[in-house]
Amino acid sequence: MRAFDLLYARYESRLFGFLLGMLKNRADAEDVFHEAFLRTLKNDAEFDREGAFRTWLYRIARNAALNHQRSGRRGARAVAQLPESDPVPRADDELGQRELLHALEGAVERLPDALSEVFHLRSSGLSYEEIADVLEIPLGTLKSRMNQMVVTLREDLKPWTAR
Amino acid sequence: MDCAVIQIELAPYHLGVCDDETRARIDAHLLECTDCLRAYLAIKRHIERGDRARPSDAAKAKLRAAVASEFRPTIAARAARALRRPVPLYQSFAAAAVIVLVVSALAPILARPNAPAPVTASGERVDTARPTPENLSFY
Repeated sequence: MRAFDLLYARYESRLFGFLLGMLKNRADAEDVFHEAFLRTLKNDAEFDREGAFRTWLYRIARNAALNHQRSGRRGARAVAQLPESDPVPRADDELGQRELLHALEGAVERLPDALSEVFHLRSSGLSYEEIADVLEIPLGTLKSRMNQMVVTLREDLKPWTAR
Repeated sequence: MDCAVIQIELAPYHLGVCDDETRARIDAHLLECTDCLRAYLAIKRHIERGDRARPSDAAKAKLRAAVASEFRPTIAARAARALRRPVPLYQSFAAAAVIVLVVSALAPILARPNAPAPVTASGERVDTARPTPENLSFY
C-alpha cells in the first residue's frame, strides 16, 4: 500500500485535472479516475516495461473516459465557471482578465473532442511524444492536431479582440 | 503587436505550442507590457488550476480500499513468500551451531557402551556372537 500511496501522490492532481477537463463533471471524473487507476494496477502484466508508466496510465484513463462518454453515463453537467464578477468592477484590467478567461474557457469548451483532449493532455504537462503515445497516433499527426487546436482557439477568440 | 492579438495567443504560448515567430513576438511584448504580463499570469494560473484539482478524500479512501482488497495476498501466497525469503547468513550460522550442540548433547546417549555379556548359571560369560547349544537359552 505504500507503493500505491506514492503512485497516487505523484499522479492524482494532473491525471484528475485531465479527466475533469475531458468529462466536465467532478463525479464522473472521480469515477473514471477510480476505474483507470485500478485497471492500471490490475493489468501491470500488460505494461510494456520499455514504455513510460505515465503514458500508459494516461492512455488507460483516456480510454476509460471515452467509454464513459459513449455509454452516456453523465452526471449533471457542472461546468467549472469563474465566480460572477462583482457588480462594480475593481479595475479595468481585472475585468478585462476575467473577460479573457471566460472567453478562453468557452473556446476550450467548444473545441472538438480530438482537439480538446490534445489541449488537456498538454495542460497536464505531457510532452508531444508522450501525448502521441497516449493517443496512439504518429507524432506528425499530433503536431497537426496541435496546430489545428491553436488555430481554432485563435479564431474562436477573435471576437474578443474586437471589444 | 496589438495587446488583444497578443492576449488571445497567451494560452498556446503557455502550453508551448506556438510557432517560433509568434513565441518570439510574445516574449518581446511581455517584457514591455505589464497588462499583457498580468493577463499571461492569469491564464497560467487558470490552466494550472486544473493541475491542482484533486479527487475528494472519500474518493481516495474508496480507491485505497479497493486496491487493498484486490491485492491482498492469500494465505498460500504469504506462505510461499516466507519460504522464498532468503535466510540471512547469521541465521544459518546460528542454526548450524544449534544442530552441533544438540548432536553433541545426544552423542553420549546415542553411543551406548556395549552391554556386559550375559553369564551362565556357573558364571561363564556367553559369547553372544556365536550361538551354541549351551547358550541357546539366551536366544
